[in-house]
Amino acid sequence: MVDSPGLTKKFQKELNAGIASLVLLSVLDQSREPMYGYQIARLLEEYSGDASFMKQGALYPVLHSLESSGLLESKVEPSVSGPPRRYYEITAEGREMLVTWQGVWTQMKSFVDRAIKGG
Amino acid sequence: MIKSVEEYLDLLKVELKESDSATVQDALADAEEHLRAAMVSLREKQPQASEQEALTLVIEQYGSPEETASAYKEVERRTVPSLARTAPARQDSALKRFLGVYDDPKAWGALLYMLISLVTGIVYFTWVVTGLSLSISFAIFIFGLLFAVFFAVSLRGLALLEGRIVEGLLGVRMPRRPLFIQKDVTWFERLKSNLVDKHLWLSLVYFFLQMPLGVIYFSLVVTLFTLSLGLMAAPLVQTITDFPMLSIGVMKYHLPVWSTPIFLFVGFMIWTVAMHLSRAIGQWHGRYAKAFLVTE
Repeated sequence: MVDSPGLTKKFQKELNAGIASLVLLSVLDQSREPMYGYQIARLLEEYSGDASFMKQGALYPVLHSLESSGLLESKVEPSVSGPPRRYYEITAEGREMLVTWQGVWTQMKSFVDRAIKGG
Repeated sequence: MIKSVEEYLDLLKVELKESDSATVQDALADAEEHLRAAMVSLREKQPQASEQEALTLVIEQYGSPEETASAYKEVERRTVPSLARTAPARQDSALKRFLGVYDDPKAWGALLYMLISLVTGIVYFTWVVTGLSLSISFAIFIFGLLFAVFFAVSLRGLALLEGRIVEGLLGVRMPRRPLFIQKDVTWFERLKSNLVDKHLWLSLVYFFLQMPLGVIYFSLVVTLFTLSLGLMAAPLVQTITDFPMLSIGVMKYHLPVWSTPIFLFVGFMIWTVAMHLSRAIGQWHGRYAKAFLVTE
């Protein structure tokens, strides 16, 4: 008996690993102002519509890892209500990297599409 | 069923108990920031929803403590702090490992850290001694309470700053943000929660000790490296100027030419050993700073 929801979840998680970085960089590249985690999560929710691709909690470690690679920078600012917020902004290196990654993604997408359609 | 944000954070902490303490601190701060912001926004959109319904929905979107913890663990496995590098492979020859220290950013970082620790040590020490004595003497006034809270908060800020320096130069992963400070509590409660926090006292001790340590580190680095440079430069200086190595009365003693390689070699060895020593001290200091400054 195949555990189909389990396998689908695993497949989704493996797909997300790299895509999350690309998506986060793109969102921050398009944004005029620095954004905080919940703001980004809300925007992604809007993009994904009814489908939920990844848990919002999984975005944060990716943000930290992009920051430690120098592709993002962040600052903590107090908020009117609740705890202080960490605002993220894309760096010049991040923008350069995004262009490369977008290229990789376009190639990858057409490759996968062709493989699925069979030529 | 999770009943409060605090309960969620406790469960997340349990899930991450084997992770690096800095990762745990990041994860808790992220979750707290997100869950509270999401709760506020959800209550605005759906004022009829009960607290429990709102929380369940918010956690459903954010992910269970288990899911969140696994996301952090996953990324933690792939991320390395700024200077952390794999140790030199065992099969390298002893000579290669001995000289490899020049290619190790940790050794250079530690060297720089030891030099600047004199300055930071003096700043921390002055701040702590002034803040502590003013807090104690102001305690008889009402505003003394405010001052003590301000001092406690400033210590957290300093701990964070020192954490950034330690991570940048010594390559030890340190927390990237301060822990959440609870709002809607009175100044007195805030002071009380600070006073019972073990890490506040530990960071106080750390900053206090940073001055003597800074003096020791600085003197050690300056002594060893000037000795090494002096030994290496002596034969060279002697050839271009007429300055003797030693002069007693009118007698001037010059180094014989054949001793030049010996001086160069000894000077170089002292420098290399000093680099190894700096790296070792840097690693030890990183562990000590982490134990004293990072809130688990």
